[in-house]
Amino acid sequence: MIQLTINGKQIEAQEGMTVLAAAKQAGINIPTLCAQKELVPFGGCRLCIVEVQGFRVPISACTLPVSNGMVINTETETLKKSRKFILSMLFSERNHFCPFCQVSGGDCDLQNAALHEEMTYWPMQPAWNNYPVDSSHPYFILDNHRCILCRRCVRACAELVGNFTLAVAERGASSLIVADTNVPLGESTCIKCGTCVQSCPTGAMIDRTSAYQGHERAMTRIKTVCVGCSVGCGLNLVVHDNRIVRIEGDWDGVVNHGLLCEHGRYDPMQNTHDRITTPLMRKHGKLEPVTWDEALGEVADKLKPLAGRQQSGLAAIASSRLPVEALSMFKEIFADGFKSRMVTSTEEGMPTAVLNTVAEKTGAFEGKLDVLRNADTVLCIGANIAKTHMVAGFLVKRALPKGMHLIQVSPEAGPLDEFADVTLNNKPGSDLTLVNGLQAVIVKEGLGRTPLALLDAESVIAKALQATGLDAEALTYAARILAHAVSPVILFGKGITAQRDEKLVEALISLAALVGAVDKERAGLLSLKGEANSAAAALFGLDEQFTLDGQKAVYVVLGDDFASPHLLQKLEKAPYLVVQASYISALTEKADVVLPVALWSEQAGHYISMDGRVQKAEQAIHAPEGVRASSAVLAEVAMRMNMPVKQDWQPGIHERKSSVVLSTN
Amino acid sequence: MAKPKVSTDWMCGCAGCHMSLLDMDERILQVLELADLRSSPITDLKEPDKSGVDVGVLEGGINNTANEEVARKFRQRSKILVALGDCAVFGGVPALRNFCGIQAALQRAYVDAESNEPGSQIPNDPELATMTKTRAIHEVVPVDYNVPGCPPDADIIFYVLSELAQGRKPELKDDLLHWD
Repeated sequence: MIQLTINGKQIEAQEGMTVLAAAKQAGINIPTLCAQKELVPFGGCRLCIVEVQGFRVPISACTLPVSNGMVINTETETLKKSRKFILSMLFSERNHFCPFCQVSGGDCDLQNAALHEEMTYWPMQPAWNNYPVDSSHPYFILDNHRCILCRRCVRACAELVGNFTLAVAERGASSLIVADTNVPLGESTCIKCGTCVQSCPTGAMIDRTSAYQGHERAMTRIKTVCVGCSVGCGLNLVVHDNRIVRIEGDWDGVVNHGLLCEHGRYDPMQNTHDRITTPLMRKHGKLEPVTWDEALGEVADKLKPLAGRQQSGLAAIASSRLPVEALSMFKEIFADGFKSRMVTSTEEGMPTAVLNTVAEKTGAFEGKLDVLRNADTVLCIGANIAKTHMVAGFLVKRALPKGMHLIQVSPEAGPLDEFADVTLNNKPGSDLTLVNGLQAVIVKEGLGRTPLALLDAESVIAKALQATGLDAEALTYAARILAHAVSPVILFGKGITAQRDEKLVEALISLAALVGAVDKERAGLLSLKGEANSAAAALFGLDEQFTLDGQKAVYVVLGDDFASPHLLQKLEKAPYLVVQASYISALTEKADVVLPVALWSEQAGHYISMDGRVQKAEQAIHAPEGVRASSAVLAEVAMRMNMPVKQDWQPGIHERKSSVVLSTN
Repeated sequence: MAKPKVSTDWMCGCAGCHMSLLDMDERILQVLELADLRSSPITDLKEPDKSGVDVGVLEGGINNTANEEVARKFRQRSKILVALGDCAVFGGVPALRNFCGIQAALQRAYVDAESNEPGSQIPNDPELATMTKTRAIHEVVPVDYNVPGCPPDADIIFYVLSELAQGRKPELKDDLLHWD
C-alpha cells in the first residue's frame, strides 16, 4: 500500500493506482472530462491537473501513478484559475452555444464543469470555424462543433469494442472525429453498437430517437437485463411517461461493463411491428376480437380433453426469450400436467441439447465469459462472434491488437478471418475429425498438458486432413498456437451444437483440457448458445426437435418473439393452434385463438445467461390495457383446466445436469 | 440619498430577457422602491441620463453599428454595466450568423427564402445601420456583470437587480447559475 497526502488528508492507495482514482476512493472529487472507466487514461482535457509538491508544473491526476510520500493539492487558487482558463479555451474552440443543445441544462459534462467552476461567461470568443456535421448514420448524428476532442468515442470504439472505426483526423484546431478514412459514418465500418454515443460527454453525439425528449432529471432510470441473446448484458433504461426513451448499457453491469450491441441498444427502439391488444378467436374463418373470458374459456374447453394423451394429443412450444417464470410454468402445465410428449422451445434445443446430454456424464464443463478478459488465445469454432453474441465478440476483437491469438474455424468465411492468426474453413460436418486432428498434432509434438492416450496420432491427422480438406501446415500451425497458449479459451456456437453430436462436444472438452484451457483454476470453454433463456429452456428439458406427428392441437407461448419460417412450415398443418403473442405475425394470422401478452420490458422475470448467470430483469413500462403477462395467462389457462401450478421456478432449474455452473452474478 | 438610477435597453436580441424581467411579477414593485428606473425599451424614456446612471442593463448582442453606439453610450453613462442573457454574454443565437457570414445570411433572408416574392432585394437604404460580425457585449465594451441564460430566470434577474440596487455585488453560483 502507498501512503500519500491529498489536500492535507492522509490516504492509502494500491500500487499502480492513479492519483485520480486514489482521490476518488478517498472521497476527494477532482473534475475530469476525458477520463472514463476502463479506458486507458488520455490526459488530454487537462481539467484534472493537480499540484504536486516538488513538481515544476501541475500535472494531470488521471495519468499520474501514486507514489509514497506524495503531497498533493487539488483546490489551490492557482488551480481554480487554471481550470477556468482551460474551460474557456475549450468553449472558445468551437460552437458551444448551449441554448439549443439537447444536453444543455444538466446533462452536459462540459457545461457542468463550467458551472462547477462558477463561470458565467467566456473571456475568449470562438473563431467561428465551420466543422462538418455527419448525419449519415441511422442512429445518431455527429456534430463536430460540440466536440471537445476528449476522444472518449475513439478510445471506446477501439479499447472497449475493438472495432477501431473512429479516429481523429487533421491536427490542432482542425482536428476532427472521423470514421475510417474520413467517410460518412453511415457508410463506414461502424457496427452500430452505440458505445461512442454513450461515452460522449457533450452534445456532439446526438442520439436520434432520444434527443430533446427531456432532461435526465425528468427521466426514470431502470436497471435491467437485455433479452436480445444469451450474453445477458446489463441495461440502464431511460424511461419517461411509460415509454423507453433510450437504452443504455449499464457501466456497472457484471457481464458487459456498459457495452451493448445494435441488437440490444437500437433494435428494440424500432417500432416496426403491430401489437395485438385484444384476445382474438377465429369465427367463420376470420380472427375476431373477443373478451379474455371467452378466449380462455374456449382454450380450456378445446384443450382439456387432450390431457394425458400420447397420440392425437397436445404439442406445446415456448419461445426461449421468455423469462424463467414463464418457462417453468409452461413445462409444468404441458410436460408434467398434460403429459404431452412434444413440449419444446422455438430453438428446439439446437444450441443446447447436446450440452445437457454430455453434462449428464461429465458434470458442468463450461466457464464464465469473464475468462475472455484475460485470455491470450481464442479458438472460435462454429460461431460468428462478429454477427451474433456481439458483446462476447468485442472482448475478443479488442484484445487482438494487444497480441491475442485467434484461430477461426468455420465452413464459411467470416469478418474476423482477416484478423485471425489462422482461419480453418473445414468442410461441413468434419468438425469432429478436425478437433481430433488438433489433439493428435499436439500429442505428436509432445505439447499436451494432460496425458491423452492416442494410439496412432498420424492416422488421426491424416483422417482429419482428408475429411476437412485443410492442409497440414494450417492444422499444425493452429494446433501449435493453441498448445503454446498461456491462457487459452475455446468458444463454440450453434455451428457445433446444431450437429447434436455428443462425441464432438466431448472432443472439445478433451482438447480444452489438453491445452490447459480447462484446469483446476480456469474454465476456458464457452458455448454461446442462442436466445436470452436458451440455457433455462434446456434446463427444463425443452429441447426436442418439433414434429406435429398427429397431434390435435399446438399451444405456442411466443411472447414478443417470432416463429422462424422453418417452424411455421412445421406448424402448417396444425389442426388447432393457440398462440400467446405480443405482435401480429404470420403465426398469429394462422392461429385459432390469439392471446395478447406483454413485451420483455413490460414484465419482470429471470434469465439464465450463456454462462449460467441467473439475472433478474425488471419491469420498465406497463403493457397496454387488456394485455397480460405471459405467466399470468398460463396460470389462468392452467386454473381453468384444474391443473395445479407452483409459482416457484427455483427448484426446477436444478433438476437437470447443467453444462454451466449456475450463479447469481 | 437618492435611489440608484437604472437604465436598460435591448440590441440584437429577441426581447425575451426583458420579458423574463417582467416575469418577476409583483416583485418589480419592490425593485422600483429600491431603484429609479430611468429608461428602458418598455417605458417612456429611451436613453440613459447624460449625467449618468448607476446601473446599465443591456440585452442582446451587437450585430450592427447602431448596436455599437448603444453599447458605447451605455458603457460611458453607466457606473456598472450588466450583460443580460446569452446574446449579451456570448453572442447567442444571432452569433450563428458568424458561421456563414453577413452576405450569405442577407442573401438567404431577403432573396432566396421560399417565402420571398420574386425580385426581392437586400435592403440598401443609406440610413440603415451597417451590419457587423455578431459580437458579445464584452467584445466591444468592458462588462461588469454577466447574467447568462436564455433567458435568465426571473428569480435571477430579481436577485441581480435588487443586490445592485442595495449597493451589493451579486454572486451567481449554485442554484442561481444555470445556462438553460
